[in-house]
Amino acid sequence: MAPEVSKLHPVSVLYRTVRQLGRISFVVFLFFFGGTDVIEQFSAVVVGIFAVVVGFIIVLIWQVAYYQRFEYEITDDTFDIRSGVISRRNRQIPLRRIQNVDVTENVLHRLLGIAQVNIETAGGNQSEANLRYVGEDTARQIQRDVRRRKRELSGEEVTEVEGDEEEAGQKLYEISGKELVLLSTFSIDFRLVAFAFFILSFVPPERFEEFVGFPIDVSAVPVIVLGLFIAVVLWIIGFGTSFSRYYGFVLRRVDDTLGYERGLFNRYSGSIPLDKIQTYTLSENVLKRRFGYSTLGVETAGYSPTQSSQQGSETAVPFAKKDRVMRLAVKIGNVEKPEFTLPPKRARRRYAVRYTLILGALAGVLYLADLFTSPPEWYLPLFALPLAPVAAHLKWRNRGYYLGDDYVATRNGFWNRKTAMLPYYRVQNIIESSTVLQRRWRIATVTVDTAGSSGLRDDEARAVDVGFDDAEMIREEVRGKLQESLVKRRAEVLRERRETEGTWLDTVARESPEARERNEDDTENDDGAERKDT
Amino acid sequence: MEVLSPRIRTVWIIVGVLISAVVGTAVGLAPTEEYIEAPLGVLVFVGLLVVLGFYQFLRYRNWGFEVQEDAVYIEHGVLVRVKKVVPFVRIQHIDSRRGPVERATGLATLVIYTAGSRGADVSIPGLKPERADELREKLRELAIENEESIEDAV
Repeated sequence: MAPEVSKLHPVSVLYRTVRQLGRISFVVFLFFFGGTDVIEQFSAVVVGIFAVVVGFIIVLIWQVAYYQRFEYEITDDTFDIRSGVISRRNRQIPLRRIQNVDVTENVLHRLLGIAQVNIETAGGNQSEANLRYVGEDTARQIQRDVRRRKRELSGEEVTEVEGDEEEAGQKLYEISGKELVLLSTFSIDFRLVAFAFFILSFVPPERFEEFVGFPIDVSAVPVIVLGLFIAVVLWIIGFGTSFSRYYGFVLRRVDDTLGYERGLFNRYSGSIPLDKIQTYTLSENVLKRRFGYSTLGVETAGYSPTQSSQQGSETAVPFAKKDRVMRLAVKIGNVEKPEFTLPPKRARRRYAVRYTLILGALAGVLYLADLFTSPPEWYLPLFALPLAPVAAHLKWRNRGYYLGDDYVATRNGFWNRKTAMLPYYRVQNIIESSTVLQRRWRIATVTVDTAGSSGLRDDEARAVDVGFDDAEMIREEVRGKLQESLVKRRAEVLRERRETEGTWLDTVARESPEARERNEDDTENDDGAERKDT
Repeated sequence: MEVLSPRIRTVWIIVGVLISAVVGTAVGLAPTEEYIEAPLGVLVFVGLLVVLGFYQFLRYRNWGFEVQEDAVYIEHGVLVRVKKVVPFVRIQHIDSRRGPVERATGLATLVIYTAGSRGADVSIPGLKPERADELREKLRELAIENEESIEDAV
């Protein structure tokens, strides 16, 4: 295939101009309309418009020059980009190093038929290069080309697929209309709602008029009404966000990468190299659990396709029945289905004590405040006391750890339960910790750490509040299994290597002149070898 | 279990004295309305000193580490007790460090880096410089040895 030099999409000139102008004109308008006393209103408008027009022309010229001077090219082993109007930049990215090519489109892009292409490499949390912008089809074509060239480079057999490469990847999951609606429906953050209720319960009823503007009698009812109102608003926001985010979600597997596409207004496509995945996570909030649904996420090391603040956490399956999610996890990463061991019963007692103390303290604070101002009745929190054991039980019930043959898994959280599953060979180090309070209950927390992009994750594998003996057992078990799994993997790698070498030697032997003569007599053998190759 | 050099106790206690002195002085100089302020400052100083002294004593007593067959094992912590296992295969590089205070007291800190999201800064303070260098060499060898035996298995 002859390498050809390509340019950006011509529409990108206009788009970029308008965008840049938007930024500049904001400043210009501030400048001209900031102090109206100095210049007459009329002339200010004229000057303003004039400035915008001049600005437009200057920016347009600049963008045309940028367009003219921007070239990219996919050669046999590199992705080359030559850019820069005044100072030129020549960048060659070896295809081997490219992890994936992400395509992003927002609403405007889609109307204009353009897309942004980000080229990601391993290491470094920034895109190696951006193409702003190329045609939609071109973007997909670049994705395909890079993927194919990479495969060619790695010496793998290229399975040429006619037509759309979309079909080349094995489609693992596609969100259905029902799933999308349910997912959006269930996407309410209960913690926010609970928090809203909590805050509301402290607002004195007579203040409601000021806040909301509708006159309500002083009673307990408006608190609930207002709380429900807030809950509904939060729910609608959650619904909309999830709906537009996961609209048309498709997960595919192409060779050793997972590729996904999603989005209603802004369309994203990205890919996750399988060998970068550290942890698999299941997130199930109360509603999802109630109806037997689950969400599968994957945690990658030092690398996040969308570069959002998601800390390298990507959604692989946004919403599906739990057993289907598990089947997909098995298919993607050979994940073992965990069977959880709960923390000891004394952990549950500890939570009950903790919640009781918190409620007591709250009542105490309110009682003290009562002496100076007139907040709501100080004993209100005490009504929640019967809930303390229930909450403690739920918290306890949803924790757990699992030590399998190849996987370790942990589970935490009631409102939004997170299950982290990771293979032993991903373990970086093991940290067992116990606070003073934990020690009083003879319990400890074991964190199984993996390579990660940041420490600010709430879905790392943590066996929380397990008994002292269990903590030590987990620590030692994971430690031993890590070594075992590494030995196993090493054997696999060696075997693979030997196999490839073997076929290579076979080929050489077959194609040497003497071998050819021999093979002419022994066609059966030849057939056997050929079959093995294809 | 190997303990830290006893000299680190002196360093930690000096740090404790300094903190107590600073806080004590700040409290002592704080403008209050009526009575003489000095006794309060002294009280805070002494109180803090006792607490911190006790804390540093426990801190030293709880610190320990060991180079085991497949990993470095570390135990420390007073309020939060921590036991860490850092497998040799996961060691990326090792530093022995000597800051100004450490140079003055003839001590060194060994820092073990892994790719872990939170274990990136596993450090062992209060080592004699020879011991720190020795450990660094030993761990480096062990890390390489394990790397070779278990290649390509990140």
